[in-house]
Amino acid sequence: MFVFRIDNRSGVPPYLQLVQQVRQAVLLGFLRQGDRLPLIREVAETLAINPNTVAKAYRQLEQEDLVTGRPGQGTFVNEAPTAGMSAATYTSLRRGLETWLNRAHAAGLDEQAVNALFTAVVNRAKNENIA
Amino acid sequence: MTWLAWRQHRAEVFTLSLLVAAIGLFLLVAGSSMRSLFPDGAAACAGGLTDGSDACSTAIRRLNEEHGYASKMLSLLNLVPFLIGAFLGAPLVARELEAGTWQFAWTQAVPRMRWLAVKLGALGALTATLAVALTASITWYRQPLDVLNSRFTTDAFDLEGLVPAGYALFAFAAATAAGAVLRRSLPALAVALGAYLAVRVVVAGWLRPNVQAPRSIMERVAADDATLDAGGSRISTGDRADWIIASGYADPSGRHLSVYEAVEMDVAARAAGVDFSAYMHERGIQQWVLYHPADRFWMFQLIEAAIFVGLAAALLALVVWRIKRRVF
Amino acid sequence: MTTTEYALRTDGLGKRYRRTWALRDCTLSVPTGRVIALVGPNGAGKSTLLRLVVGLLAPTSGTVEVLGQSPAANTPQVLSRIGFLAQEHPLYKHFTVADLLHMGRSCNLRFDQGLAERRLAQLDIPLDRKAGALSGGQQAQVALALALAKRPDLLVLDEPMASLDPVARLEFLQALMGAVAADGMTVLFSSHVVPELERVCDHLIVLNHSRVTLAGDIETLLAEHRLLVGPRTTADLDKAGTVVEASHSDRHTTLLVRDGGGPTAPGWQANPIGLEDLVLAYLRRPTRHDVEAPAFSEVPA
Repeated sequence: MFVFRIDNRSGVPPYLQLVQQVRQAVLLGFLRQGDRLPLIREVAETLAINPNTVAKAYRQLEQEDLVTGRPGQGTFVNEAPTAGMSAATYTSLRRGLETWLNRAHAAGLDEQAVNALFTAVVNRAKNENIA
Repeated sequence: MTWLAWRQHRAEVFTLSLLVAAIGLFLLVAGSSMRSLFPDGAAACAGGLTDGSDACSTAIRRLNEEHGYASKMLSLLNLVPFLIGAFLGAPLVARELEAGTWQFAWTQAVPRMRWLAVKLGALGALTATLAVALTASITWYRQPLDVLNSRFTTDAFDLEGLVPAGYALFAFAAATAAGAVLRRSLPALAVALGAYLAVRVVVAGWLRPNVQAPRSIMERVAADDATLDAGGSRISTGDRADWIIASGYADPSGRHLSVYEAVEMDVAARAAGVDFSAYMHERGIQQWVLYHPADRFWMFQLIEAAIFVGLAAALLALVVWRIKRRVF
Repeated sequence: MTTTEYALRTDGLGKRYRRTWALRDCTLSVPTGRVIALVGPNGAGKSTLLRLVVGLLAPTSGTVEVLGQSPAANTPQVLSRIGFLAQEHPLYKHFTVADLLHMGRSCNLRFDQGLAERRLAQLDIPLDRKAGALSGGQQAQVALALALAKRPDLLVLDEPMASLDPVARLEFLQALMGAVAADGMTVLFSSHVVPELERVCDHLIVLNHSRVTLAGDIETLLAEHRLLVGPRTTADLDKAGTVVEASHSDRHTTLLVRDGGGPTAPGWQANPIGLEDLVLAYLRRPTRHDVEAPAFSEVPA
């Protein structure tokens, strides 16, 4: 069964943390099609979190078409939207990033600098796409 | 709700019932031995030590010797109605306020006024019941004494009839009210004891003799009265069961004489070599007595019980008002 | 039926003890199904408000309505719809847990003893133990189980976790949130600890110096507020009356504004604000003028 975590100090709203965790797990293949997410009650109880928050996260995941709620049965993971990415592609992309990270470290970049650089590139790409 | 009242107060109920039962048992044993002194019943000796038979004189003498502790014991028993009422009343509200459980109790689906009604009703009824049980055993125990003496003495009047239940209810109400105001059981108990003693002393010492105008008898001293005593008049009302409030001598005009004046006359009589009663008779001195006749017993009981029950009702009204107003 | 859509409504609610007002001018509407945090420093009037809500106190002024009914009426019907856990979760200490359940049954119109027993069994709390012999966390759990067994529509808790250690706190919150998820009741609880609120609550009431200074759904409140950082200025920035708090350092001025977003003035940068900072900002506000106009405060940075 999938296990959620909540970080009180992250500054990210709790519901968004839940959404991101499912999104990431689906992307990384930890959650596969047909997997059942824990019941709202179970999540609320184990995390000591407001059930409305969990419900909201599940609603958002449904809107993103990542999961489907089936009344009386639970919430199930849909076919991964990243079906286009094969395991081989995933592995090779990941390898490439690891190689790049090693170079960055060799060049003396610490974690913060790496993150800043990565974000800057991603943002630039986003802006170019919009433009 | 009744279950809760029972569960909360059952320890006090057990303890007090045990206390009353133990007192009852003791009085049963002591009373049986007292009765065995009078095989024909104490009524046969109602004439007293002087004009009864030899058997009666012996019995009464033995009664005084062997049961002399009765008076002290009985005055101690005056505290039992207080114990009954106060131990049930003091924690009734105070314990809830002390422990904060009033917030727990009054947020169940029992409205607080009903909660209070059940508690006051059940514990008040229990107080009265225990007091009546105590009264019954004391009255049974005192039967020979009551036949021989007036039931108006504090030994008897305060422990028989209706008043003990009234005292107990007053103690119950005083302890409950003190608890509701002070919010602590123990200080409430102390305050209730103070109030109980104060009210009882005032009522018994001042109010009771004046509940109704006493009757009076005034008659000239007989010339040959051998029982005449300079220390005080021993004039009889004709019934040993009457309650003598006061007695003494008076001059022919009816003015009461002080003890000093009476003693002076005694000295003068001796100096003149005349018999005291003859001396008094000659000067027209009268003896007087103020008394309540024995048949007023139940009316006095009723009035005094009503006073205490009335005070109890007023105090309980204060409790109801405080809890209704939600001052906590 | 519009009245029952609100779990709690107050209008001009006030409570005075002799000369001091413990709560005044409290006007609130809280929809059902929320988990509401009542936040404020000690002595702000939180307990007074909660006791008014559950009918333990009668208002000095104004009205309070719970689920469309007046709790001050103190009828069995209203009482059975409200569950209450007072501060320090008082229980009859010499009662066994089973006695307490018996009491719950005998003092309530509806009492789900099975539910209470299941909860206590899950927590390994023995029924034959005296309440006074249980740990603080267990006592809180027993009190919670009793309140939940009433199957209330509104559960009110006064500083429920203040006396609990961290493990007991978590367990208590787990039990509470599980119950909310299962039964969908409205929960109103007070706290003076802010950090753990965000994961638990979706509605917030800030009480300071006997007055409500902020109330609303947390998400809405966070969306309406933002922090503006710009060059230092001491000019009157509050022409629109939206500034909640202003602080100045040597070069910068930081403004907490409630303007619902929108464009920022040139040279100013807008940042979202976290729940904890938002609550603290409202708790820091001076008392007198808070209703009329937000005041500025010089905060050395």
